[in-house]
Amino acid sequence: MIRQTTAAVTAALALAVAACGGSDADQAATIPDGKATGTIDVWAWGNEGEILGELTKQFEAENPDVKVNVTAIPVDAAHDKILTSVAGGQAPDVAMVGTTWMGELARTQALDEAPAEIDQSQFFEGAADTVKVDGKTYGVPWYVETRVLYYRTDIAEKAGITEAPKTWDELKQAARAMKAKGGAKFGINLSTNNWQEYLPFVWQAGGDLADGETFTLDSPQAAEATGFYKSFADEGLSPNTTKQGFDITPAFVRGTHPMFFSGPWHMGLIEEAGGEGFEDKWAVAPMPAKQTNTSFVGGSNWAVFKSSQNREAAWKFVEWTTKPETQAAWYEISSDLPANQEAWELPALKEDPNVEVFGEQLNDAKSPPPFPRWEEIGTALNAELDKAIRSAPDGRQAAQKINETVSAIGAA
Amino acid sequence: MTSFAARRRTNIAGWGMASPFAAILAVFLLVPILASFAISFTSFGIGNIQDWTSAQFVGLDNYTKLFADDAFVRSLRNTAYFVVVGVPCTIVIGLLLAVALNQGIGRLRGLFRVGYYLPVVTSIVAIAVVWRYMLDPDVGILNAALAQVGITGPDWLGDPRTTMPSIIALGVWRNIGNAMVIFLAALQTVDRQLYEAARVDGARGTQLFRHVTVPMLRPAILFTTVITSIGYLQVFEEPFVMTGPAGGPDQAGLTTSLFVYQQGFRFFNLGYASAAAYTLFMFIVVLAIVQFRLLRSRA
Amino acid sequence: MTVLDVPAVRPKARRKSRDVTGRAPWWLFVVLILGLLAMVGPFVWMLLGAFKTNADFIRTTPTLLPERWTLDNFSQLFSKRDFFRYFLNSAGIAVVVTAANVLFCSMAGYALAKLKFAGHRPLMGLTLATLMVPGSVTLVPLFVLMSKLGLVNTYAAVTVPFFAGAFGVFLMRQFMHSVPDDLLDAARIDGAGEWRIFAGIVLPLLKPALAALAVFQFLATWNNFLWPLVALTDQAKYTLPVALATFSIGQHKADYGLLMAGSVVLVAPVILLFLALQRHFTQSIAMTGLKG
Repeated sequence: MIRQTTAAVTAALALAVAACGGSDADQAATIPDGKATGTIDVWAWGNEGEILGELTKQFEAENPDVKVNVTAIPVDAAHDKILTSVAGGQAPDVAMVGTTWMGELARTQALDEAPAEIDQSQFFEGAADTVKVDGKTYGVPWYVETRVLYYRTDIAEKAGITEAPKTWDELKQAARAMKAKGGAKFGINLSTNNWQEYLPFVWQAGGDLADGETFTLDSPQAAEATGFYKSFADEGLSPNTTKQGFDITPAFVRGTHPMFFSGPWHMGLIEEAGGEGFEDKWAVAPMPAKQTNTSFVGGSNWAVFKSSQNREAAWKFVEWTTKPETQAAWYEISSDLPANQEAWELPALKEDPNVEVFGEQLNDAKSPPPFPRWEEIGTALNAELDKAIRSAPDGRQAAQKINETVSAIGAA
Repeated sequence: MTSFAARRRTNIAGWGMASPFAAILAVFLLVPILASFAISFTSFGIGNIQDWTSAQFVGLDNYTKLFADDAFVRSLRNTAYFVVVGVPCTIVIGLLLAVALNQGIGRLRGLFRVGYYLPVVTSIVAIAVVWRYMLDPDVGILNAALAQVGITGPDWLGDPRTTMPSIIALGVWRNIGNAMVIFLAALQTVDRQLYEAARVDGARGTQLFRHVTVPMLRPAILFTTVITSIGYLQVFEEPFVMTGPAGGPDQAGLTTSLFVYQQGFRFFNLGYASAAAYTLFMFIVVLAIVQFRLLRSRA
Repeated sequence: MTVLDVPAVRPKARRKSRDVTGRAPWWLFVVLILGLLAMVGPFVWMLLGAFKTNADFIRTTPTLLPERWTLDNFSQLFSKRDFFRYFLNSAGIAVVVTAANVLFCSMAGYALAKLKFAGHRPLMGLTLATLMVPGSVTLVPLFVLMSKLGLVNTYAAVTVPFFAGAFGVFLMRQFMHSVPDDLLDAARIDGAGEWRIFAGIVLPLLKPALAALAVFQFLATWNNFLWPLVALTDQAKYTLPVALATFSIGQHKADYGLLMAGSVVLVAPVILLFLALQRHFTQSIAMTGLKG
């Protein structure tokens, strides 16, 4: 009730401001009251690309005069293809974009600002942060994911561990025990080249990637986190190299890598790979904590492009997907977790205790700031981290080298 | 027939026939190439996408930055590694293969020729998955086979020391067929009598190979070396599918073409990427000229 | 004197047994067979993999034959994934581009080799030079050019730029050298125009070369991945390699069975075409090599 009033007031203010500013194509769109019409071209990738059609059918049913065309694009090339399309003036009306791409896309000035009618506070904070660039809001969070700990309960039991590790120390102990007494080849699988697994440790230690435009990966807290992360590989508890296309699922099922951090998609994958009777052998748990147990929040956002010929319908579609009922419906179709906090109250999301772990973790999850050169920074961070794990003498020097590399690229 | 009218007739006919090609060359190849060259002197990046003229001129900055860039220098080293090892392997194996097939395997030669040429004609997208799976240290067939004889195979693609050798193996595997086929045909034209004469002089086996076969095949060897080198200097697909666009552990698989793709296509640093591409181009041209010189002087 | 003058003599001198230095030792045969297995092995594995369920791919010890044979992957490809349409797209595009290449490259090759028209040297030089330019250079500028021409996401975008390739022209030009000038001069004296000479004399003589070019170009176009990926935004227009990459490589897992089946569909036509024309093909590559 209050939300609707707020929205109405915001809308009125926005209209007022817009009226003062005079007519300008760069204005943020407003969502019309009536049904959507015309065609909307939507690009999506991965699993979402394949099944989005099921959701858009519902939108078309509610808005009989609209046609939504979904184009699936390859996962690996999605980012590059979207950028290239913008360069060529061929962007679609709506695109599914990665949460770390917003800064870059905003810089191209091709993105349409989100209408004020869409209340950003209904989303998880970490997710909402990913659509804000330079004080403006571009796009809307669609679905989220966050990382939690997956672990083999049977191997843990064998190693004398009865509860999921809750602190860094417990994590290290668990890894050691699983390797020594649980019969596993490794204690845990920590990617050597994935900042999505590494940064949470930095946050948990109280550090951060950057402060404004200065990188702070060489702070004492970040150094401590780097040292801790690296120590697993140093002690042989985790592999000291990660290669392209490595699939953790069979390794987890086999038992060679009994712990790893990942998002909700692995639940389904493990069920499928593990087969019958395997459900009792594994579980998920929130991230172990140091000062906090902050995790990484990812997912995908919707971006609408200024070049769209049907901005109004596009935004109407986007807004529709953020409604709690739609979010819950999408969860049932895809297992993607809703970005809208209200959706979590609905029964569909209360059924699975594992899913609740994710819901809990989402309350403390962050994402890197929307730096325009994030692709480069991420790639360089990964490469430097990978090298450091194998060859840096200690955590402090590793952290310093990583910080130097990303600082050279710059936050602006 | 060199009268003016004849010359004109030739010119008209010549341009008439060459014009479709010339048009396509000009519009779809030369224009982008020149545009790219121009861009290499600017700092064209993601912010300039909507308005191309907003890119800033920076002179030779991109080029000087390249050589101070660790990743670029490493990519040059990796590419050189690939070429220096890959080219001789391809040529030598292709040559030995051709010689072997030439000797009394006559009936099955067709089968062998097709079989060895198969990797050349197939899509890298299809091949990559198979190779990556085969090289998997845990479930791959290569390490499984090694385990049978008691050797624990390394993590072929994950260990930076074995990454490039794995990529070279894929490259050589894909290209041997080409070399083999050229040498096979070249061998067919070697005068039998030369072998007879040499045998009369007492030469056998490897001596025949060294003193008759190789010298007679010199033009074919040099041609194949040039073509293969030019191709290998631009190697992109093999590292792209084996290590991903990032170039693998310690960027051991990052070749210069991959670097260009990364900078231009992923990060949209088009100015920088173009400069890198043109630097590579210069290396290719230099190598080609050097090799052509060698070829000319022999012929 | 070109190397092609020699083969006319060769066949007569050939004896029944083709060996030059004696019969091949048995160990050589074994080595060759092993090598052949290494070459062909991955394809066999790919073919078998297409009939496997995903469970077979994640088990600890890899097996050659499927645990349980299944046609699921193929049926999925063609019913759910619409692979037949992508197959048609790829085939149509490849045929059009190949036909255009055969026509335009042979024309240009003839002009460059036999008609010393004004500017033919610079044109040839440019052709050779572009062969040395890394492909990554042109990708983005070409895309922007296409968009300015309004051709993005059209079949034209994936066909027209490839209608006549530098490689094809180079190949044809080399082969033109084997057509005797006297033949052409005689025809000219008889009053035949260049076009008639081209169509009536040159083309028939060059059938093997044309076949070689056709196969080369078909392969290259069929396997082309990066450019169609960028230039086509409409899923219905996707070519096979793009579709394969889109539908079998997921963000978090790869459906290996599907990927293998898709790969088989991608690779099979190429192999069949190759088998049908390989004699022309391999002979002709060889000839280019010798002439240099």
